[in-house]
Amino acid sequence: MRKPYYIKTNDDQVAPANVESIALDRVGSLAIEDVSYWLVDMRIWQEGWQTVCELRRNLSPKVYLRPIIYLMESMDMPTEIHKAADGHVNTMSVDSAIIEDWVSRVEHINHWINHLSKVDSAQDSNIAFKVLRIITSRNIELKPITTIRRSSGYVYPVLEPLFAKRDTGVMETLSFLESQHLLTPAFVSKAHYCSHCGSAFLNFKESCTHCSSDDLTLDELVHHFKCAYTAEMSEFKQGDQLQCPKCERQLRHIGVDYDKPSMVYHCNQCSHTFQDPKIVTECYNCGRSVEPENQEVRVIQSYTVSAIGLNAAEYGLEALFTNLLDAELHLYSSNAFRDFFNVEAARINRYKVTSSSLAMIQFRDLDQLYIKLGSRAQEVFAELSTIFKTVLRQSDVITARNESIFFVIMTETKKEHAYRAVERLREGVTALFKNNLDFTPELVVGVEEINEQLDLEKTLEAFLENNAI
Amino acid sequence: MLFEGVVEFVAGLSYGQVLAYFWPFFLLDMTRYLFLDVVVIIMYIPRRVFAKAKYSNARKRLYKERPLVSVIVPGKNEGKHIPRLASSLNHQTYKNIELIVVDDGSDDNTAEICRELERDGKIHCFIRNEVRGGKASAANTALKYSHGKYIVHVDADSHLALDAVETILLPFYMDSNIGAVGGDVRVANAEETIATRLQAIEYLKAISTGRTVSSELNILRIIAGAHGAFRRDVLDRLYGWDVGPGLDGDITLKIRKLGFRVVHEPMAICYTNVPITFRRLAKQRFRWDRSMVRFRVRKHRDVLLPSARFSFANFMATAENIFFNIILDIKWWIYFIQMVMFHPEQLEYIFIINYVLYFMANILEFIVACALLRQSLRPKDYFLALFLPLIPIYTGLFLRIVRSYAYIMEFLHGASYMDKWNPWKVSRVAKREKL
Repeated sequence: MRKPYYIKTNDDQVAPANVESIALDRVGSLAIEDVSYWLVDMRIWQEGWQTVCELRRNLSPKVYLRPIIYLMESMDMPTEIHKAADGHVNTMSVDSAIIEDWVSRVEHINHWINHLSKVDSAQDSNIAFKVLRIITSRNIELKPITTIRRSSGYVYPVLEPLFAKRDTGVMETLSFLESQHLLTPAFVSKAHYCSHCGSAFLNFKESCTHCSSDDLTLDELVHHFKCAYTAEMSEFKQGDQLQCPKCERQLRHIGVDYDKPSMVYHCNQCSHTFQDPKIVTECYNCGRSVEPENQEVRVIQSYTVSAIGLNAAEYGLEALFTNLLDAELHLYSSNAFRDFFNVEAARINRYKVTSSSLAMIQFRDLDQLYIKLGSRAQEVFAELSTIFKTVLRQSDVITARNESIFFVIMTETKKEHAYRAVERLREGVTALFKNNLDFTPELVVGVEEINEQLDLEKTLEAFLENNAI
Repeated sequence: MLFEGVVEFVAGLSYGQVLAYFWPFFLLDMTRYLFLDVVVIIMYIPRRVFAKAKYSNARKRLYKERPLVSVIVPGKNEGKHIPRLASSLNHQTYKNIELIVVDDGSDDNTAEICRELERDGKIHCFIRNEVRGGKASAANTALKYSHGKYIVHVDADSHLALDAVETILLPFYMDSNIGAVGGDVRVANAEETIATRLQAIEYLKAISTGRTVSSELNILRIIAGAHGAFRRDVLDRLYGWDVGPGLDGDITLKIRKLGFRVVHEPMAICYTNVPITFRRLAKQRFRWDRSMVRFRVRKHRDVLLPSARFSFANFMATAENIFFNIILDIKWWIYFIQMVMFHPEQLEYIFIINYVLYFMANILEFIVACALLRQSLRPKDYFLALFLPLIPIYTGLFLRIVRSYAYIMEFLHGASYMDKWNPWKVSRVAKREKL
């Protein structure tokens, strides 16, 4: 039977009745099947938060993945810290029943942790992997919340204690996991960020088109139908009534004897009048003023773990197909691939003797494969990598857009030969799966002859667009 | 055969018969539009030459003071014309100018064009009224946001000669009692169609010569909306323009009523685009002619009546206008009926002789206009003379029929209150208030 452990960081702290205490530096020594959750004292929340961070930054999955429950007196703490926990118990109402209740409520997390292989001895040093495992173990949709305590304006509370530095590390990590198809994003919002310092705290100001001052007054124009007099509302105001200064008639009904055709800004500094003010954004952090169109716009997303992500969280990033392929064939980065492409195109154009081809390969439904294969995916991918290695040559340059999309520069290979090569690849893949599974991922291929007129980016985008699912 | 018949008919006429057969020409049109114009212009030309020093002095005073001049341009769906107008203002000899454009509820890309010009500094203030209020309200909006000592009202489909702003301001520095100056309006698109060529000749006669003569006689009754300069303090006293159509004639009379002189300056030139088809021209004149009845006969009839503020000059300006344009419009129908009833057998000869008389009068008027405008005319303007034979038909038939129809519609139905030129909400109030 698992039980909670109260994390004791100083001698003044007293654990609730029937809850065992443990010092923070000894949490790794506990047996994996013993711990249900860490009970962290948040009565002085700043101290408690330190403890939470240390637990989450621990490299051992049996420590950092373990549920954390706050023991707290009040909600007097920042929302993102409050929401970083898996649950809360109140010091006033805490009793054995509540403690036990939480044991059962977090059991699904512990169950997931415990079935990981080598969980006792593992050390997860890769922050992206830790993030993936945290999200997977909780089986949650990772949602951002707004905050004024981070310059990014948004935080993912669950991930907060994992990152030591208050920078854009969280966003970048999530972006990486998304690019690898390990996380599936969903749109939440869009936000403007300072193009200089990345702060989301921007003051959008209307300013004078002449002197850039933001000391502006906005006036409504009033048009009196009878005499065509048009001026600002203030000119018509006579106490509670509106009276035309030209014909001295009282204005009674808007739309009947007068209307308001427009609004006008007046600069109190240079007296300029205009309707289309210049909008500038002033960063609260670095103080720089920039036009909104020159600021960075980011999409804020929530994330769920994809099928590939589930597999990777369980068996490690090393089990991913790209990692296996990288070990076999050495995958080049996108930038290096582009450089190779440009050199090859220039070379062919210069000598006009031979030709090379660009092959584009996309596996469809690869995530289904992860789901079906589970831990066996690694073995199948190892065989798949062998097929790639057999078909492709040492001189070919390969890059992976993600787990399922690969681009290959097949040097000194005519277009028809390149087709033959990718067909051999398709046959190999089909044979592999036919022999092992009742399911074959669809392989979509495209081949183009490399020359100076071939625009790499456009060709790749067109391929992806044409074969979008 | 016909020619011989005409000669024989003319040769057989006594002086009395000549008058009886052709009284509209000899008693009215020749006297007012030919004789008076020739006499006044013959006196004006040397006076203008001798006033060179006076003009030069006024120019010096203008440049010494260097007041801000606000050029205001109200309009709807006029965006395509604004860049050329802005450019003509950028190249003016007088530089202290601000351009204020008010878009009166355009439903085309006027706002985008003007906003861009505003960003480029070619328009100093652009106001877009989302809801159309009519030209007067747009002009008043522009007046509200102008800062100049002088206000130059220009139509959006016009552009100015390079020295137009400087020249139109000079009269203010020659006579402190001048409240407004009308600029000369010439046709920019004269070469487009026959209709525009005929209007170009008409503008030379009616605006360049006609308004110079009226100005000399101190009976000038209109400062064209296309090109007119106003003292700001005068416009402020009037709180700007009243509801149109015909707001330019209306404000001219209101300025006269305040006791200020209004003059025409024929050397301050503005080129404006005129309707290119007779159909559009008829619609334009229909509107102009109706406003004559509405403003002269209805709104400002007080200037014709004795009162403590009676002014003979204002009386003459309005009376001349009403007499020659409205009352004498009837004369043609009387004349026509007279000829049909009493001389049906000579109708052919009478028509031909009338045509010849008016043709010759037009040649003389064209020569007078050329003498007056001399150096400001472009070589191509002289070629307009080739179209003079069509002018008697144009003015004598086309414009007369439109005018008569407009007067009848306005007198009987108050048609100007139904004009789409103003938004319905404004026309409704104008009609209710009998404006």
